[in-house]
Amino acid sequence: MKILLLISILLISLTSNSSEVYTFNSQVDEQRFYKLIHEVRCPKCTSGSIASSNAPVSEDLKQKIADLINQGYSDKQIKQYAKDRFGSEVLYSPEINSSTYVLWFGPFIFLVIILLIFFFRRKI
Amino acid sequence: MNTFLRCIILMIPILGILFFYNVLTEDDFYPGASFKNFNVPEFELIELSSNQNFTQENMGDEVLLNVWASWCITCRIEHGFLMKLSEQGIPVSGLNYKDEMSDATKWLELYGNPYQFNLHDYSGSLALDMGVTGAPETFLIKENIVLAHYSGEVNQDIWDKVFMPIIIENNLFR
Repeated sequence: MKILLLISILLISLTSNSSEVYTFNSQVDEQRFYKLIHEVRCPKCTSGSIASSNAPVSEDLKQKIADLINQGYSDKQIKQYAKDRFGSEVLYSPEINSSTYVLWFGPFIFLVIILLIFFFRRKI
Repeated sequence: MNTFLRCIILMIPILGILFFYNVLTEDDFYPGASFKNFNVPEFELIELSSNQNFTQENMGDEVLLNVWASWCITCRIEHGFLMKLSEQGIPVSGLNYKDEMSDATKWLELYGNPYQFNLHDYSGSLALDMGVTGAPETFLIKENIVLAHYSGEVNQDIWDKVFMPIIIENNLFR
């Protein structure tokens, strides 16, 4: 009897201390959640997704993303939510827009220039 | 043609050095400051001293909202400057972040209370909605619109360089 009581106490204390459990309506939503938390950067860490972080703000953001998924938000809307609050650097892959053209296409343009110079020189 | 190419190749590292010299020696570079304007999200939280519900309607037109917690060491360092601001008549208010109510009250009794009101955000819900990543952070709010957001300790230098231009521009705290 004593042993049974001890085991039950241990079990209860374990469950009450376990970290956040996220519940979803469907398997698809759950997969979306795990994909999203790997694509959002932890706002407080140097580099790392919120999936890999247990900083208070990351825990909150994960819970918020789970809530937003359950409220029917799309992936794009959820990323926008994070971006509005923590800036565009919160997303791991930068979006393609006028301020990131240099970032995305700069290396290719640079490569073309180098190749042009290379061929130009050989002709002389 | 060859000399032209040589000139270009020589210019690239020189321009690079100039660029980084310019960026790295910039005096008014404050990575913690953000001047993006956004509305204060709707909230309903408990006010720390009165223990009553508090919404954005109870908030004044001009507020300096400081995110703090009793577990936050930098907040203790910042506290002296906030006391000074409140003595100057700046409406300093608090957002008590992820803190036990008793700890927060004790902290204020021990060190002094510069805050006109204090929102108790135990879960950090309003803080998350406002883009708070930790404590201390400070928001300058006019008519429910955030004009400036600073992450980190506010001191005289930050106040003069980051907040004062916005305060003067918007005719705040007159």
